[in-house]
Amino acid sequence: MAKHPVSLTVNGDEHDLLIEPRKTLLAVLRDTIGLTGTKEGCSTGDCGACTVIVDGKAVTSCMVLGVTASGKEITTIEGLASEGELHPIQQAFIDTGGYQCGFCTPGFIMASKALVDENPDRTEEEFRHALGGNICRCTGYTKILEAVLQAAEEIRATS
Amino acid sequence: MSEYSVVGQKLPRVDAVEKVTGAAQYGADVHPAGMLYGKIVRSKHAHANILSVDTSEAEKLPGVRAIITQDDVPSGRRVFATDKVLYLGEPLAAVAATDPDIAEEAAELIKIEYEVLPVVQDVIESIKPSAPRLHGDATKDGPNRRNISSKIKELSNSEADDNSNEIRKLEAELEKYADEVYYNISAESHTEAGDVKKGFAESDVVVEDTYFIPRVHQTYMEPHVSVASADSSGKITVWASTQGPFAIRSGIAGTLGIPLTQINVIGTTMGGGFGGRFGVIITHVPAVLLSQKSGRPVRVQMTREEEFLDGRPAPGCVIKLKTGATKDGHILARQALAFWDSGSVSGASIGSTIRVRGVYKIPNIKVDAYGVHTNKSGTAAYRAPGAPQAIFAGESQLDDIAEQIGMDPVKFRLMNMREEGDAVPAGGSEPKVGYKETLEAVADAAGWWDREADDNQGWGVAVGDWTNGCGPGGVYVSVHEDGSARIFHGSMDITGTDTAITQIIAEILTIPYENVTIRRGDTDSAPYSTGSGGSVVTFTMGNTAKLAAEDARRRILELASERLNTNEDNLELRDGAVHVITADPPKSISLGELAAFSLSTTGGPIVGKGSFARQPSTPALAAQIAKVEVDPDTGRTRVLKLVASQDVGFAINPMAVEGQIEGGTVQGYAWAMMEEMQYGENGNINPGFVDYRVPTSADLPTVQSVIVEVPAPNGPYGAKGVGEPPITPTLATMANAVNDAIGVRITELPIKPEKVVEALKNNGHEA
Repeated sequence: MAKHPVSLTVNGDEHDLLIEPRKTLLAVLRDTIGLTGTKEGCSTGDCGACTVIVDGKAVTSCMVLGVTASGKEITTIEGLASEGELHPIQQAFIDTGGYQCGFCTPGFIMASKALVDENPDRTEEEFRHALGGNICRCTGYTKILEAVLQAAEEIRATS
Repeated sequence: MSEYSVVGQKLPRVDAVEKVTGAAQYGADVHPAGMLYGKIVRSKHAHANILSVDTSEAEKLPGVRAIITQDDVPSGRRVFATDKVLYLGEPLAAVAATDPDIAEEAAELIKIEYEVLPVVQDVIESIKPSAPRLHGDATKDGPNRRNISSKIKELSNSEADDNSNEIRKLEAELEKYADEVYYNISAESHTEAGDVKKGFAESDVVVEDTYFIPRVHQTYMEPHVSVASADSSGKITVWASTQGPFAIRSGIAGTLGIPLTQINVIGTTMGGGFGGRFGVIITHVPAVLLSQKSGRPVRVQMTREEEFLDGRPAPGCVIKLKTGATKDGHILARQALAFWDSGSVSGASIGSTIRVRGVYKIPNIKVDAYGVHTNKSGTAAYRAPGAPQAIFAGESQLDDIAEQIGMDPVKFRLMNMREEGDAVPAGGSEPKVGYKETLEAVADAAGWWDREADDNQGWGVAVGDWTNGCGPGGVYVSVHEDGSARIFHGSMDITGTDTAITQIIAEILTIPYENVTIRRGDTDSAPYSTGSGGSVVTFTMGNTAKLAAEDARRRILELASERLNTNEDNLELRDGAVHVITADPPKSISLGELAAFSLSTTGGPIVGKGSFARQPSTPALAAQIAKVEVDPDTGRTRVLKLVASQDVGFAINPMAVEGQIEGGTVQGYAWAMMEEMQYGENGNINPGFVDYRVPTSADLPTVQSVIVEVPAPNGPYGAKGVGEPPITPTLATMANAVNDAIGVRITELPIKPEKVVEALKNNGHEA
């Protein structure tokens, strides 16, 4: 299948790639660029494990074709910690025990980051509904919500 | 204050940073150079004879490197179907190609000719003489037949005359066939104690009902995956997402006739398991065969759809249950007849039917259970396998009895619970278990005793029991010159067990938790370890870790005695150093100094070894209370409160223990209210998250967990396995709450809105 030139910025690094039009952004990130922190849980946009941030918005990368992401700025879980410091959301997931098997965690953290960046003042109930596109099978969500609320509070306090 | 400084603390997990940064390596993250992508070719029919398999077109597709069928299995053990398929999605062949999309295209190009056969997907339909037979021919001497007419007759002479509902119809139908020989029966299990006939005769109240529990999928978030690499010397390396690398090693060896130690299994970080991640053939064996044929490493990764078609989910079942009690609340007898849907192969937790006994003194009990074949994939364990199903029936019926005799459901349960010293049916006597403490704790925490409910609101309670398993394991611990310790073992971390092991070793060596690291070996390097299922890990590996740390401590004291020139009786290990108890001024030597000293001794470095197999376990109880509100017009149930307590023996890491309770409870909630694998005329019809809904954070409120600690005599620090118990009572908790809210007893899960509306309509409610 013919390949197309695609230029992406991922976690601040520019990538000029040749990719088949049928490859999803998820496949480009994992198989072409080698960033495997973003997970594939369903390939149908229903579980949120592959959530990344594209131009500031959380998207399920299995639902985006790689070629359509050309020219966009993408942040994955690998790009969240800076200078050896964990992002407050990552730290909050550790502090509260907001992960277990960890497979959904990158997606949850990226979805939470987009929500907190957009508006850290959401109530618990609002976060509950806003995170309804991400599935976690281990935690029952109790500690994930604790994590997101803790991070939101910290981000509010420092902004 | 706790007598311990590391165990019993809410510490961050040892794998915390790798899990929140995306660094953890799961199965699909493994990518050896030259790796090919495998794809399994699956049956498009639920029951069919295979007339031909033509791979010629697929072979011509550029990028295809290997195609395998059953002909490529030298041992002859069944990996792929040949003459007949028994369920939709059954593997027929597999391909490996240079790109996942090419592999998928090639799989589509393999032409299979089918002769479609009649399908049976319901256990009651399947046992009828008229049902299509899955295994063997149609003769009366064929396999999988039993004469179970007497069992059905025993329970079918109901006095109830309500023929309006599905359950009565079903019973009537069974009665019709009561004298026949039944087919498609894969296994049976029978238990009897006392005399149920006598028990029912002496009872003031007898309640009977039939309970339908659907097949549900464990729905671990990481689909099955393995990467296999067979090198030219015949050595096979498998990166497997599995709960039991050693079981996968022996499974591959047995299936393919390869010497055990020619196979090295590397367990990758596991994206959830819940009992469903032990299968050998599912992806591991096809990956090995593809790698052997292509001479390249091959990854076989299931899609979510394949998980639903060809995973090994939890069996559904039909349980007919009858309970008798006196009007002052003593349960006298209980009898069950159960049919478990084992799918195309045998084995479906049928022995768990006896869990209808619960934790109660029931002097007369009889259980007859059968596994029944249907045109579905086989089943496997799912968190306390079989218990949620049996306990749903048992605990639902207890509430109906409590209601009939006018007794509070919590008090009724407390009154009938077994006590320490009571004889247990399996022999011996009941150990000290926090049955009553756990139920009382949840009642107190939930506000049960002064509960209030508005219209259409209700409260439900249920308890479930489970006992952790036990198995062989080995642990090494080394102490280094900087005073840190390193653990080496081979058991898979099942969401927190590595952390528990680390806490135990830090506690015994009296060094900070941060100074202990843990490393998992593969099956080539690590000592044998039992699989991480059955809530065994903390119990087994915790005990093993304790032995290893104590062994290291022996060497530490020996070295200190030599170094400090004093008898070991004068020495004490505390705060990471060995102190001379009687010394004035104080005299001590740090672990780091001792580790450095050890290198120049004749005895050598500090290496502790722990090896353990089994000790009797102690049962654990989970007790839960839900408050719900049911909308009688839409049938929708909203959870207002969900409280879960559990006797965990001792919580080595309370944060991790709470996580298990919360997660297990929500899985139980989902089984009660949402989840059901559905089957149409040609197999599963809901193989994806749109049609098979699992809960999200938007579906229910925060679960409140309550830890109860009644120590287990043989558990490390008194700990019991905590993973499985919390799912066991929730199915009944929810059904009992719905019943309390609107007076409707739902016996067929899940409690979907349409069922509630229908049931209310039958009760005369007008929407």
